[in-house]
Amino acid sequence: MLGVLSAVGVAALLLFGLILSPPDVAQADSVRLFYIHVPSAIVGLYLAFGVTCLGSIIHLRNGSVFWDLLAGAAAEIGVVFAGFTLVTGMLWGRPTWGVYWQWDPRLTSTSLSFLLFLGYLAVRRLDLDPAVRSKRAAILGIIGFLNLIIVRQSVQWWRSLHQGSTLNPVDAQIDGLMLFSFFLGLIALTSVFFWLLLHRFRVAWMEHQIEAASVTTALAARRSEAADYDGLAGNT
Amino acid sequence: MTESQDLDLTPRDADDVSVGRKRLRNWLIMGTFTAVIGFVLFQALTSAAQFYYNVDEAVARRGELEDSTFRIQGTVTSEQAPDANGALIFTIAYGGVDTAVRHVGAEPSDLFEIGIPVVSEGHWEGDVFQSRQLLVKHSESYEAENPDRVEYDLDDTPGYVPDNTVE
Repeated sequence: MLGVLSAVGVAALLLFGLILSPPDVAQADSVRLFYIHVPSAIVGLYLAFGVTCLGSIIHLRNGSVFWDLLAGAAAEIGVVFAGFTLVTGMLWGRPTWGVYWQWDPRLTSTSLSFLLFLGYLAVRRLDLDPAVRSKRAAILGIIGFLNLIIVRQSVQWWRSLHQGSTLNPVDAQIDGLMLFSFFLGLIALTSVFFWLLLHRFRVAWMEHQIEAASVTTALAARRSEAADYDGLAGNT
Repeated sequence: MTESQDLDLTPRDADDVSVGRKRLRNWLIMGTFTAVIGFVLFQALTSAAQFYYNVDEAVARRGELEDSTFRIQGTVTSEQAPDANGALIFTIAYGGVDTAVRHVGAEPSDLFEIGIPVVSEGHWEGDVFQSRQLLVKHSESYEAENPDRVEYDLDDTPGYVPDNTVE
């Protein structure tokens, strides 16, 4: 059901984003990147890494494997969305700013977030005791999310090439059909995120179950071997 | 005493080569991660923290910035035809102060026009800012292109005199 909703949402986004929404008076057709760039930033940075942060906090409080795996799954998808945000931002930057990249506050802090969560995923793959590894990853997941406050405020706190927030709740500075296309993009990408999260978490949970079962099986096998050996030795 | 009691059941360590490889792998991953994060933090503290000076600040601190390469931000107030060397010459203003800019380098984006804010990287040469990179800022407003909008060229406007004050 969620998969179908995601597919329909993406199809509608393509229709409105590429065909039905009008070009911008200044930026012409490059404004169409807005409908995927901003939603992917919201979903990747704030929603996905928010789930990672929440899962990390709960895991640190009670050691929940469920929340640890959910945090890891959300971070993997979040990194893909954050990478997509950076790429679409670069593609948008070239025709508007004149360059693909500048080390301005918004771009720098966003790339730092992307790298922090890449690092989070790297920590999750370190060859350490699983409990220690999960704890270290959880701490990094929380730090990474705190950096998003800097990302959000960077255009207010420092001088940035990146424009400020368009989606002012009081007075959104965007025309009707453009705003509709943006919200369509937000709904479609949110749906895609939860659909991917569901499947990625399911795989992670099954991997965990198999790992736990294999340890139990190996222990049982060793005990059985020892018992057989004792029995054999007792008979001789 | 059974024979199983003769077995050595104490936990055994993995061989040294395997442990060494795992440690090396962990250190490589964390070392690479730390180096990349360090590079981005360096950029954050140097370039991002003071991305540009506004025109009024750059003019007020001209003496201090004389030998430096920095970025200046202001709104384009007038533009001339390129000079004999192909340099783009225009003026930018901010905070009630304006300055002349001579840009040599890649052409700015199509959004460059009078009234648009720009960020230029370069240095002072006398009273003129010598630009080597020109970035165009765009606002957070998005307005649909209206097919009925009347387009006109400022140069065709009766009575319009281009500003040629920049030497």
